[in-house]
Amino acid sequence: MIVAEIKPFEEIKDMLKDYKKVLIVGCGSCVTVCLSGGERQVELLASALRMARKIEGNEITVGERTILRQCDPEFIDQIKDEATQYEAILSMACGAGIQGIAKRFGSITALPAMNTRFIGVSDGQGKWVEVCVACGDCILYKTGGICPVARCAKSLINGPCGGSQGGLCEVSRDNPCVWEEIYSRLLKLNLLHFLKEISPARTRPVHPRKVVREDLRLKEEQTKGV
Amino acid sequence: MTDKAIPPCQAACPIYTDVSGYVSAIAIGDIERAVRINREINPFPSVCGRICTRPCETACRRSQIDEPISIAALKRFAVDQSRGLKLIKRPKHYYDERVAVVGGGPAGLTAVHDLALLGYRVSVFEEEDVVGGMLTHGIPDYRLPKDVVKEEVDLILSLGVEVKTGLSLGRDLSIKGLLKDYQAVFLALGSQRSLLPKCNGIELSGVITAIEFLKQISRGHRPNLGEHVVIIGGGHTAVDAARTCLRLGSSEVTIIYRRTIEEMPAGRQEVEEAEKEGVNIRYLTQPVGFLGNGKVQKVRCIEMRLGELDESGRRRPIPVENSEFEVKADTVILAIGYIPKADALKDSGLILSKNGTIVVKDNAGTTNVRGVFAGGDVVSGPSSVIEAIAAGKRAADAIHRYLRNLPDKEVKEHLPLRLLDDNVVKLINKSNRQDMPTIPVEKRLDNFNEVEVGYDHNEALREAQRCLLCGLGAVVSDNCVACLNCVRICPYGVPVAGKKTAEIDISQCQACGICASECPASAIELRLETRKEALTALQKVMDKARQEAVEPLIIGYYCRYTLPTSLLDDTAIYWLGKLCTGRLDIFQLIYPFEFGADEVVVHMCKNEECHFRDGSRWLLTHIERAKKILDEIGIGADRLNIISEEDILISKREKVRG
Repeated sequence: MIVAEIKPFEEIKDMLKDYKKVLIVGCGSCVTVCLSGGERQVELLASALRMARKIEGNEITVGERTILRQCDPEFIDQIKDEATQYEAILSMACGAGIQGIAKRFGSITALPAMNTRFIGVSDGQGKWVEVCVACGDCILYKTGGICPVARCAKSLINGPCGGSQGGLCEVSRDNPCVWEEIYSRLLKLNLLHFLKEISPARTRPVHPRKVVREDLRLKEEQTKGV
Repeated sequence: MTDKAIPPCQAACPIYTDVSGYVSAIAIGDIERAVRINREINPFPSVCGRICTRPCETACRRSQIDEPISIAALKRFAVDQSRGLKLIKRPKHYYDERVAVVGGGPAGLTAVHDLALLGYRVSVFEEEDVVGGMLTHGIPDYRLPKDVVKEEVDLILSLGVEVKTGLSLGRDLSIKGLLKDYQAVFLALGSQRSLLPKCNGIELSGVITAIEFLKQISRGHRPNLGEHVVIIGGGHTAVDAARTCLRLGSSEVTIIYRRTIEEMPAGRQEVEEAEKEGVNIRYLTQPVGFLGNGKVQKVRCIEMRLGELDESGRRRPIPVENSEFEVKADTVILAIGYIPKADALKDSGLILSKNGTIVVKDNAGTTNVRGVFAGGDVVSGPSSVIEAIAAGKRAADAIHRYLRNLPDKEVKEHLPLRLLDDNVVKLINKSNRQDMPTIPVEKRLDNFNEVEVGYDHNEALREAQRCLLCGLGAVVSDNCVACLNCVRICPYGVPVAGKKTAEIDISQCQACGICASECPASAIELRLETRKEALTALQKVMDKARQEAVEPLIIGYYCRYTLPTSLLDDTAIYWLGKLCTGRLDIFQLIYPFEFGADEVVVHMCKNEECHFRDGSRWLLTHIERAKKILDEIGIGADRLNIISEEDILISKREKVRG
């Protein structure tokens, strides 16, 4: 899932300073799961904004909605009538979600309430860690299911840098050296021979990337019929 | 299946009273709601609150932890609090059909009540000069005061019911005759003919039946029974008769029962009270003859032992050879069993069992005679008040369906929530049942005053708060995004990851509300108090506070489990009680400021006092996060504070000083 965090309140307030009518839109997918952008957070942020602006003598009307996903236009359309009544939409989705909103409602400003952090997994209650950078060239089969691109501070793909001490990363002592973990896992799986395979140097992907599934897409003549 | 299951107390009640509904209402001090829930379904809540056999308490899951909730005592408390409050509905429309109810006991009067409310014109025919049946004539005042019965009977009769007393079926009335004037007849004659033991000397003067005896007492007679009284039997009536004898001045009152206390149909508590008052009970003893010259002087008894199980599922008592002995007796009272009066039903055309009870076709009481229904003890043999009430309700419904040509009632299954799992049981705090206050034994025996005093407000709330709130816990809605936060934080380990959403087994949920307060999708609702209800309650208090324009405006949340409401009087704070403040979400802590509150205070128990596990820990987390928001907004974290009992007392004193 995509893990995101709410921006500092000051920053959000500053972003909204010129608006009097704002619709906060939560996203009922990844950001709800990581407890940052669901219905409950929308309610809290709306209340906080109303109060803060009242104190400043600059009252604001705040609407509240949460849709299932902001990365699909069909869901965004569920709020299209309501959206036109506002000057801006404050999106509590990831960077993808807010761009979906911005594209769909060309004439309404879309503002991000969140900082999108990473693709991650739950690491216990209220804790998430990055495990994938969406590099587009997965090598997990030879690293024991542990991604060095996402989890090594230097994204090294052919073994450790040599700087780790006591199993901890020299860049951040909070993190284990992922190459030590890969070694241990491969040892356990009896797959150490993978460490002898050299992974070729990688090129940085050129953005924006696209996935087009010709096998799944409607053919042109079908589209015409629709 | 679990979704449809109901709390075990409710499933065990013959009329399926919403017990957890009214007990939880009492737990938050909403007595009127508790009374409404009771009156909605039961025309005799005051009676049941005193003398019900309480199958609900036997089923109560609290006994997996310590002792069941004192449900009947709570019912009594609620209804006693609201005596005079006429919470009775009126029929919405009237039908032309008339219904005759024969027998003015609890079964008959319940049918009268339900039929009258449905809009039928009902006449009740009663053999005695007043209605009430065994409630009036069979149960002594010290257990069920007459005015309590009268008040409930009068409420029923106030629905526009015609009462004809002094008329007896078989003598003054016939079923055929009734069917000429009435379109349906309900027979609720009770079961008032005493069975007699097969003993010599039964004809002696001084040998009387308990029913006749108690009837005399109910009419105000106070016969002199002599010093020594022997009562034969082990049911409620035997114990009632014995305790009555003590009140009439007899000094040696002995109950003779042929089995042991384990098999005794009388309630354990009643037996204990009787013994406290001085009743002797000789278990495993049976009379073989009554001796005397014209008047009884002695009872000849034989000792018994228990053998194999008999058809009633109890061990059969067998006489012990050469164990006969004699007991002195100036009076013998027979209370071994009851059957319907035979003469009332002879030539009625009804099919009768060999015990003389009416044979019915279904549980609604349909008889073999069209238009005639029967229920209560006349069908079941002697049973409890609540069973009689249930029979009255079923019959009223069946008569309505019969008269309106409606299809039979669908049989609804009332599945109880399953037992608590051991791993949940061990996480629940123990808490003893509140004893029922009684008048001291030395003040009982020269009068017929009610022995059980009933709970006071505090005792009732404490007792109600022991309720495990079965079935009032968390329900997951379709909005669940399966973040699994609830699975990770539930202090009882109840939620699990389901195929698509989190799943919470309502049979195990303790209704602490922590999961709901932390659900990011607002997808968990507590049946005990929905979020909407919580916010409406807050809104109400805020509105009141603003109207009164008190400054500074302080909203206070307190835990009902740890803080007595009385402590909160005379403080300058607008209080909102919660069954554990751990269920308060952050929004509820900051929302009052949006409506002009100057300060929010939360009373917090010490961690070890917390009713639910982790409640106070979560409250602290929520307060911390709410404080951060208040700082960011510019309101300031110092406007949200935890308040101790001492702080409350200080605020009280300050207010008094003015």
